[in-house]
Amino acid sequence: MEGQELPYVLVDSIGEKVGVYKDHVGFLKKRFHLITMKEYLENKTVLSKKIRAIYMWYHKPAINEELLQSLPNLKVVASSGVGIDHLDVKLLSSYGVKVANTPFVVSTDTADMGMALLLASSRRIVEGHQMAVSPDTEYFPADWLGVEVSGATLGIVGMGTIGYKVAERAKAFEMKILYHNRSQRKKEEENAVGAVYCKKIDDLLQQSDFVLLAVNLTPQTHKLIGKRELELMKPTATLINISRGLVVDQDALVEALQNKVIKAAALDVTYPEPLPR
Amino acid sequence: MFRSKALSKLIPLMSGQSNLAYKLIHPVIASHGHLCHRSVIYKQRYRTCPRSAGRRRISAGTKVMAEEELPGVLILDIGGTHGVLEDLAALLKKHFHLITMKEFLGNREEMSKKIQSVFVFECRPTIDRELLESLPNLKVIGNSGVGVDHLDLKMISSFGVKVTNTPHAVADPTADIGMALMLASARRLVEGCQVAVSPDTKYFAVDWLGVEVTRATLGIIGMGSIGYKVAQRARAFNMKILYHNRNRRRKEEEEAVGAHYCAKMEDLLQQSDFVMLVVNLTPETHKLIGKKELRLMKPTATLINISRGAVIDQDALVEALQNKVIRAAALDVTYPEPLPRDHPLLNLNNVIITPHIGTATVQAIRMMAEEAITNILAVLNGQPIPSEVFPK
Repeated sequence: MEGQELPYVLVDSIGEKVGVYKDHVGFLKKRFHLITMKEYLENKTVLSKKIRAIYMWYHKPAINEELLQSLPNLKVVASSGVGIDHLDVKLLSSYGVKVANTPFVVSTDTADMGMALLLASSRRIVEGHQMAVSPDTEYFPADWLGVEVSGATLGIVGMGTIGYKVAERAKAFEMKILYHNRSQRKKEEENAVGAVYCKKIDDLLQQSDFVLLAVNLTPQTHKLIGKRELELMKPTATLINISRGLVVDQDALVEALQNKVIKAAALDVTYPEPLPR
Repeated sequence: MFRSKALSKLIPLMSGQSNLAYKLIHPVIASHGHLCHRSVIYKQRYRTCPRSAGRRRISAGTKVMAEEELPGVLILDIGGTHGVLEDLAALLKKHFHLITMKEFLGNREEMSKKIQSVFVFECRPTIDRELLESLPNLKVIGNSGVGVDHLDLKMISSFGVKVTNTPHAVADPTADIGMALMLASARRLVEGCQVAVSPDTKYFAVDWLGVEVTRATLGIIGMGSIGYKVAQRARAFNMKILYHNRNRRRKEEEEAVGAHYCAKMEDLLQQSDFVMLVVNLTPETHKLIGKKELRLMKPTATLINISRGAVIDQDALVEALQNKVIRAAALDVTYPEPLPRDHPLLNLNNVIITPHIGTATVQAIRMMAEEAITNILAVLNGQPIPSEVFPK
């Protein structure tokens, strides 16, 4: 191995719609010799043996068996973000390729977004803005109301790092916090945020004014929230999704919202993204 | 979900019933100890009503009276575009004989003497000299909401009429709206929703970014009850909190939320990523934020207003937003409300405007009415008044 040569890392593209950010290129190039997919395809014979890592940015480049077979020295796929549901981990593992994600840095911003959606939905911020700026608005009606967040009950489904940070934030709004998780958290952790464990998700669904999904997407959480779960929720409740679109049975959600089975939903994620127009 | 407060435990003392004893239980009274002129501990008694079946038992412990004997309270209207909400009217009717403006104007001579109070809801009805002159038995203007900038306190006082507001009921929901606007603006929620649902959207661009709230610096201008509750919430987001206030808060209060006092507003403006206005509107705070203040702010900063529109020099704000002197603004209040439909603020994509919904929740509206009722009854019964507002 040439002593001074930086490792060759494959990226989808740089700049443009979905590429690695131009202002990140500086610090990436200090460590790596970046090869874009275009460059790779133009010079496969030489580059295929040199590439030792793939830097995934917003789920690109897509990794399939064909690509894996043509990169004999690939050691690791580093995916930006914490979700890895877009990767076939079994397949990668079978080629001896490791997978890495970024669980720590995403937690606070994702928790912030969960709170932003919770507050925006309860207080009808988007509708309110539309009314405030609409050319047809002549006055603000007195009976235009939202629902209170302070003192309401928040049910967190998935109390990992992100879910816990949501709980920390919600506590400051004096929300009552219920949570459902594969395993119960330590007592000190529960007490720190005043969270009450619901072993059965049904209990959480029936008591919550806001249900927030903070799970990762796995075969077990696929369509975790379907018709049955939606019907267990209060008719005054709001569903917030900051996980993955597939955690919710979207057709069931549409029906529930249309028939006022639940009051509202706030989704940062859907399946697919974007939704068909 | 409605968080019950002790306000609902109030059992009113009715004037002219000295042979009956009631217990006045109200935490607000306890916190306003300085207003208590005499002991308010009485024996609690319940009285069944011996007279005709026309009387109804409203709730245990309350004095039952025929509607005509209840104090007359003037309101703009029930329902309609600007009237008191139906549920609130029902609540008010338990204690008062409600007289709408229409009823009053249709029968001035008889009605004018009955009116002992006006319940002002969303700044209506307007209290002017003419109205005050025509209500000889008016004792109190009970305002729903904490802001009283729409009332001429001096003029009202000159008629010997008291003014009360509802500071407790508004604090939580208004602090919530402040946080909601800050988060919505930082994460570009309104724009994002528009992109997500627009018929023209084909993909989500990856370089579409907002700014971070966690660990950012929030500067709170006006650290009263509402400002303090904002600080409590912001602390959970690990925000660094600066505040500017007429008076410095106690050390324990500062430490509880990790807030640093800025004696000079300029220091707060220069260091904050988010500046939130939580002052009341007075001659001193009118146009508190103008061109100079906006220029002191960081170009990456966001201005959030949950006070009153007139606290900001709106023209200066438009200019600052158009020229990217500051990053964005989120306003629950403007001057006037609504803004004229051709106002430049309506078309800037870095502005979120909400229709003055700081207390627009089912629960808050009810609690404000209850707080106003408590205040009105206290005045009419010569009891200590929980939230009286005095002219400066």
